[in-house]
Amino acid sequence: MAEAVLPMRRQFHHQTAIWLAAIFAAAALFAAVVMTRPSLTDPAELARMLESALLWHSLVPRSVTALICGAALGLAGLLLQRVLRNPIADASTLGVVSGAQLALTIATAFAPAAIAVSRDGVALAGAIGAVALVLGLSWRRGLEPLTVVLSGMVVALLAAAMSATVILAKGEYMLSLFIWGAGSLSQQSWDAALSLGPRLLLGWLAAGLLLRPLALLGLDDGTARSLGLALHSARIAVLGIAIWLAASVTAEVGVIGFVGLAAPALAREAGARTPHQLLLAAPVVGALLLSITDSAVQLLGSGLNDLAPTGAATALFGGPLLLWLMRRVPPTPPAQTVDAMAPTNRISRPLPALIALAAMIAIVGILGLVLGRGPQGWGLATGDLFTELLPFRGPRLVAAGAAGALLGAAGCLMQRLTANPLAGPEVLGVSAGGGVGLTLALILLPFSPFSMLAGITGGSLTVLLVMLALAARPGIGAQRLLLAGIAMGALCMALVSTALSRGDLRAYVLLTWLSGSTNRAGEIEVWIGLLGCLVLLAPLFLATRWLDLMPLGEATSRSLGLSIAGSRLTLATVAALATAVASLLIGPLSLIGLIAPHLARLAGFARSRDQLAASILTGCGVMIVADWLARLVAFPYQVPTGLFAALIGGPYLIWLLNRTGSRHA
Amino acid sequence: MPCPTRAAEPRVATVDWSVLETLLALGIAPVAAPELRQFREIAVEPAVPSVVTDLGLRGTVNFELLLLCRPELIYSSSFYVSSEPRLTRIAPVERFSIYVPGRPPYEPAAAMMRSIGARLGRSSEAERYIVETEAEFALLRERLKPYAARPMIPINLGDARHFRVFGADSMFGEVLKRLGLANAWTEATSYSAMAPVGIEALARIPEAWIGLIPPVPPGALEVLAGSTFWNALPSVRAGRLLQLASINPFGGLPAARRFARLLTEALLTERGHG
Repeated sequence: MAEAVLPMRRQFHHQTAIWLAAIFAAAALFAAVVMTRPSLTDPAELARMLESALLWHSLVPRSVTALICGAALGLAGLLLQRVLRNPIADASTLGVVSGAQLALTIATAFAPAAIAVSRDGVALAGAIGAVALVLGLSWRRGLEPLTVVLSGMVVALLAAAMSATVILAKGEYMLSLFIWGAGSLSQQSWDAALSLGPRLLLGWLAAGLLLRPLALLGLDDGTARSLGLALHSARIAVLGIAIWLAASVTAEVGVIGFVGLAAPALAREAGARTPHQLLLAAPVVGALLLSITDSAVQLLGSGLNDLAPTGAATALFGGPLLLWLMRRVPPTPPAQTVDAMAPTNRISRPLPALIALAAMIAIVGILGLVLGRGPQGWGLATGDLFTELLPFRGPRLVAAGAAGALLGAAGCLMQRLTANPLAGPEVLGVSAGGGVGLTLALILLPFSPFSMLAGITGGSLTVLLVMLALAARPGIGAQRLLLAGIAMGALCMALVSTALSRGDLRAYVLLTWLSGSTNRAGEIEVWIGLLGCLVLLAPLFLATRWLDLMPLGEATSRSLGLSIAGSRLTLATVAALATAVASLLIGPLSLIGLIAPHLARLAGFARSRDQLAASILTGCGVMIVADWLARLVAFPYQVPTGLFAALIGGPYLIWLLNRTGSRHA
Repeated sequence: MPCPTRAAEPRVATVDWSVLETLLALGIAPVAAPELRQFREIAVEPAVPSVVTDLGLRGTVNFELLLLCRPELIYSSSFYVSSEPRLTRIAPVERFSIYVPGRPPYEPAAAMMRSIGARLGRSSEAERYIVETEAEFALLRERLKPYAARPMIPINLGDARHFRVFGADSMFGEVLKRLGLANAWTEATSYSAMAPVGIEALARIPEAWIGLIPPVPPGALEVLAGSTFWNALPSVRAGRLLQLASINPFGGLPAARRFARLLTEALLTERGHG
């Protein structure tokens, strides 16, 4: 007995030391912020008055707000992880933040009165909508952790696409939306602290009352129900508290990612085990984490300007943290997911069907070249007018089609590779990496199309190499690779949103790229697209055996004599390169890579060779239609093609997933 | 349907707002220009005649429509370099670079007006406009002499907690210099402006006038009005907060004149109140 107590006590001391060190670090950093604030050189009286105003109405409320926001996000993360039994659930991975952001963006642009009445209400409505969608998407799959997070990712991408569309259409509020999107904590009053503090306390007390049900939620449904717990109402109550807290923080200070993810995990690392301990520890860790980050961005900035918005800085450590947490995610048996990827009704003769599909695309393409709008309204371009318009309509059609084909292939590859129907090129993080490259190019290089091109390619390739290094590590598994992609994507998008919050003309270039416009496509883009298709897609048809065996799981594939590491690396490289080329042409946000393989499967293309061909053709066709519509719906104003594709594809995907889900339920 | 034009004056189009302003100030209506709805709201003047075709968003100019407008010359700027391969297929392109990081934009804007005037046979109009502009600045400078003791900080509110500031390489910074007023923001900015800067930075320039340039985000001023810190700022307490009407921050000479005029009016009225 005594032997058992001793190491426990030693461990206890060790943990106390960690806690004290963290608290000391936070306090010391805040003290440093106060000490190093620039002094004012004015008449002494005025300077003293201003300095005290700065201290008591800016610095102190800011640090208190950081503590409260961190605690609230930590608590929300803990509750979400507990109620969904998902170690990677968080307000940002569940779409709470994106939902709130979209609602606030729409309200700012079109109904400012709603914002004036209740900013929180608007954010909460958006957050609830997004979470309902995410949970609805993954309901049929038993809220399986990875599916929940991937659904959250889809919803977040969709919301981001819609937000960007609104921002582009109402450019004058761009700055306010960007600042908010990057999550800055700077304060000039106690308002945020006063409005969030009571909510945190209320949420915390409510969570305390739900402690028993909360503990039982950790058990599986059957056991919990047999203990007489009204399972659903308890779940919904806990979920409600978490969403309310996260949405309030988001409305007040903007997007602060990953604190909710990190706090419970670090609390567990620091020794909190029981729900009681966790309920105390997670908010404290969250508070310390955000406080330390916030002090750091202030100290590293110059004068009174922060180095970067705090929300973007939290993503910098949040991304790697998510990678580290991956090892806790239980691997899902592939058989379960393969089931969802089974075709509905096989086409008996795929080749004629593929030819018919190609013919349809050709017809749509020709229609896209001929039919358009001009100053005199709708019209068919023939003869001289056609040859005149061709240099403008042709390249963008080819660029969109090629990007769609590349994404279709990349999506098909990734879904086969990971045996997960929600895998897609956007999930790999490669397109977001291109955004970081573009940001760097805009800052460092003289502005030219070639520097933009070099930046996007460089960024995409860097992320690709990191992902491949990860993929080559033994035992990472397909699911974790996917998670690594999400983490990488979040990290890169945080860097991009920091650049966006600068609100200058570089931000405008970035936004145009994000939205995925094919408007400027010319000869260079046509050649990039066509060469990409030729070099990357044609050889794939030699590798269809790999694709057939890949979803069967590692054990099966290996027993059939397939070199897993080699084939996976090759296919991942092709998928990532195809993603990079496509993001260059139509931006990073289109969901085509996710959608095209599903469409192909739904149409009944079962064998991997046929599904690959059909995915490529479908991606191509959908992008051509999206491009054509984007050109015409708001003429002469153009909706960016990538966004438009996401707006067509996203809702369809959600409908599709629910359909397949119910069939297998 | 080619429109009759004077031989000396080719059909011009532009994809840049600062060129659009300059053309209109010279009495030339381009056949096409981008984002006219926003231009009328943000830049406000000169008024855009209804004959000008709207080319859609500045970031995604509708090339097909531009082609159908049959311009003989297209004016572009350094912001639209990536569009130029497309534009040159429609008509010859001439590019101006007014806004370059670290370089004050006033002289380049005047040079642009001269160049456009020379190209389109409006040289005398261009010279007259530039002289008028200088004269107006000289006049306003005289009227603003009593205010020259205090610096001015032109800002855009980002939200109730942040602003965007315009430095020495911005048109606002240039105009302040020409009006004999000091820009209270002395740190470097790149591409004219820097954002986001926390409101607390205003405490470092207690003596300054604050020039608030729209758009003001919904609800931001209401939040500020209730903020203890904001109200403690000497500039705010002493009523040195000027709310200007909308101006294009990346404009040409007409925008510069508009800013100078609005700023002077606001300062003089403010004094009238006090």
